[in-house]
Amino acid sequence: MSENYIKIESKANIKNLASIRLCITSFLSEINIHFDELMDIKTALSEAVTNAIDHGYLENDDGIIITEAIIKDDEKIILKVVDFGKGIEDISLAMTPAYTSKPESEHAGMGFTIMESFMDEVIVDSRVDDGTSITMTKTIKKRKSN
Amino acid sequence: MKYKYLNGKLTIYLEEELDMNSCRTIRGVIDGYIMKFQPYELVLDLSGVEFMDSSGIGLILGRYNLIKLLDAKMTVVNATSNIRRIIELSNIKLECVQYE
Repeated sequence: MSENYIKIESKANIKNLASIRLCITSFLSEINIHFDELMDIKTALSEAVTNAIDHGYLENDDGIIITEAIIKDDEKIILKVVDFGKGIEDISLAMTPAYTSKPESEHAGMGFTIMESFMDEVIVDSRVDDGTSITMTKTIKKRKSN
Repeated sequence: MKYKYLNGKLTIYLEEELDMNSCRTIRGVIDGYIMKFQPYELVLDLSGVEFMDSSGIGLILGRYNLIKLLDAKMTVVNATSNIRRIIELSNIKLECVQYE
């Protein structure tokens, strides 16, 4: 049973989004993983971190986001994105495809749909005024061809 | 971001990563070109896009709605297979998306 992880603490600033993605995908590239699956994980991660910044903290960048990636036995990937922001009142509504709490800002409302489609499991734990924690897991199926 | 305008057709060549951060700037720039040229057709060329999340879907949908208001036509071309999957998930009625 082997385990490796990386944990990033960052300000809830949308400018950090690309750096968080880059850091986590670079960490995951250490194992043998096909580009397509890495891109799926990268996209799901981007959605979770965007939600934390945009909805959790309403872009008040005093907030803190913890992003963690864990690799178990070189095949199971766990991503955790935690914020201490305003929380989600109605999780099932928030997870409805095409639902957006901010229709005026051109959001597609596809964040959770992408997370659920690209990862094996998505667990959302949220409390109003306390924060939200999203845990996503995926077992690697496609390896690099060589 | 490059663009080309020829005979009523405005082509925008999107690049690098389309996420919430980059889409904000890009949106304003594209809309500026649309208003300037008032094209009959808008083409969003995604060949230079390496990464896109749902903010990119929002960007495409928003431009689509604007173009419809102008009674013009929009097409999205050259999406890589990874980006194509995201567009397909979004279930947008994009008759306008052309592959290869």
